Amino acid sequence: MTTRTPNFTGWRAVILSEADGNTDRLCRQLGLLGIAVSIQWTPLAAADLPDLVLIDADRGWDELLLFSDAAPACPVVALLGSEAPGRISFALRHGAGAIISKPVAASAVYPALVLAVSIHAERVEARRRIDHLEERLKLRPIVFAAIVRLKAERHIDDEKAYAILRDCAMRRRMPIEQLAAFFLGGSETLREVG
Amino acid sequence: MQESVKIGILYSTSGPYGAMGRDAHAGAEFAFHDYRARGGSEIEPVFFDPRADLSAYLEGARSLIRDHGCRHIVGTITSSARKEVIPLVEKHDGLLWYMCPYEGFEANENVIYIGGCPNQHLIPLFDYLLPRHGARPYLVGANYVWGWEMNRLARELIHNAGGTVLGERYLPLEETAVERIVADIAEKRPSFVLNNLVGPSSYAFLAAMRELGERDPAFLPENCPVASCDLQECELGDIRDGAALGQLCAASYFDTLDTPDNKAFKARLTAWSGGERVVSSLFASAYTAVSLCIAAIEAAGSDAPERVRAEVLARDWPSLFGAMRVDTATNHAALPFLLGRINDRRGFDVIASAPALAADPYLTGAPTKPAPRLRVVS
Repeated sequence: MTTRTPNFTGWRAVILSEADGNTDRLCRQLGLLGIAVSIQWTPLAAADLPDLVLIDADRGWDELLLFSDAAPACPVVALLGSEAPGRISFALRHGAGAIISKPVAASAVYPALVLAVSIHAERVEARRRIDHLEERLKLRPIVFAAIVRLKAERHIDDEKAYAILRDCAMRRRMPIEQLAAFFLGGSETLREVG
Repeated sequence: MQESVKIGILYSTSGPYGAMGRDAHAGAEFAFHDYRARGGSEIEPVFFDPRADLSAYLEGARSLIRDHGCRHIVGTITSSARKEVIPLVEKHDGLLWYMCPYEGFEANENVIYIGGCPNQHLIPLFDYLLPRHGARPYLVGANYVWGWEMNRLARELIHNAGGTVLGERYLPLEETAVERIVADIAEKRPSFVLNNLVGPSSYAFLAAMRELGERDPAFLPENCPVASCDLQECELGDIRDGAALGQLCAASYFDTLDTPDNKAFKARLTAWSGGERVVSSLFASAYTAVSLCIAAIEAAGSDAPERVRAEVLARDWPSLFGAMRVDTATNHAALPFLLGRINDRRGFDVIASAPALAADPYLTGAPTKPAPRLRVVS
């Protein structure tokens, strides 16, 4: 397996924190990676999302970053010195995919970025698949109706009717739900199968 | 200048990479000899030998910093040892002077990097090898981060070039049972071998590859070279006579370098050691790291690390590698690329070279495939 070298050149990051020694070190390491960095201690405008957010989870408040844990809009890294469960929960609630401990060690920055970015990508992909499956689930009654009609028209059993729909969907390279909808609507006659 | 400044020198002169440690140690000693020869007396070395015991590196660094008051440590050879020492150097806000080629992906404010990272050794090595020998290598490596990461990057370079990695195997530092790997190579028939083995396993591997080449000329160095990025002149004596002849190594310095600076350096060294001595890139790098540290302390008028670092970064420094520029962002030295072919005089003939290349430790500027963002591949 080939692991591609993560490359952040040209990215834009916002650090939601007051400027201090930790943000100095972060800026240096992020700059080395080719990332343009800005620091602010005011809520992030939803209209102007960067590629990456680093947030002070020791002192941050909810409005600072209006992301939900279910669907953060970009990768988030939490900066954390505290071990208080409430602060760890704040980090999670705002979608943090990785934590950089304070005081910031130079060697902690790149691994945290790679982790947060890949976790974010995984979440986006998982969300997409769940949405897709939910959509298909919603359309199941249509497949059921198509099976009932096929059975009646051709005097076949459930299994055979389903096989006809599935094979035809595969041949047409479309989801079975879509094919069932076409069949019920009359634009698909399933002539060549069964 | 305050009374007697001390520079810690941290090398293992025994163990699997002892030959390298002894050479680096000697390079540091010679730098101090040079310093004293021109009248210097305020700066002194403190040597500590961790004997290749990883935990002893931390003890050694602690002793150098706390007991001897060193604010600068020159040393460590393996990445594992460097990573052991860095947190302590950071905590005391000292400077570690690291001078070996390494796998990159590090740029610490408290480290000055004089050795090369992959864009200065592995990538130009592949730029040379792929058009000449094809993109079907076999990768071998020492079983720790150097071997793993160098081979990971090699795999990525080969993938980008549309080639195929025919095999990838690892050995512990002291393991010399290389027969199975060589048998696998004989069967897979790669177009070249990238050797990231270290120490005795590397020497045994080179000897076994020579035997394979004698049985089957397809594996002689001119047809299927074994190339590495860390083989040293000081190691060639430990390899069975002639076994490594014709194999390749990338470095920023070779003993045979034909420059007036190198000739003068070698003449001084011959006078000091009482006979001609073959200089490895480790010897030259340790010498350069110590000399640069001394020169920057003198220029700063203090050994305060932040002032010394500012001096180092402020200008080009004359060195065996040519005018040396340490990058203000990465703390890494720009280094020339040299490709050496092992000759029958326990040295390297330079067969290709490129002028000093700035270090790119995180490979931010390396040509990568499109889609720079990470993707989940299901």
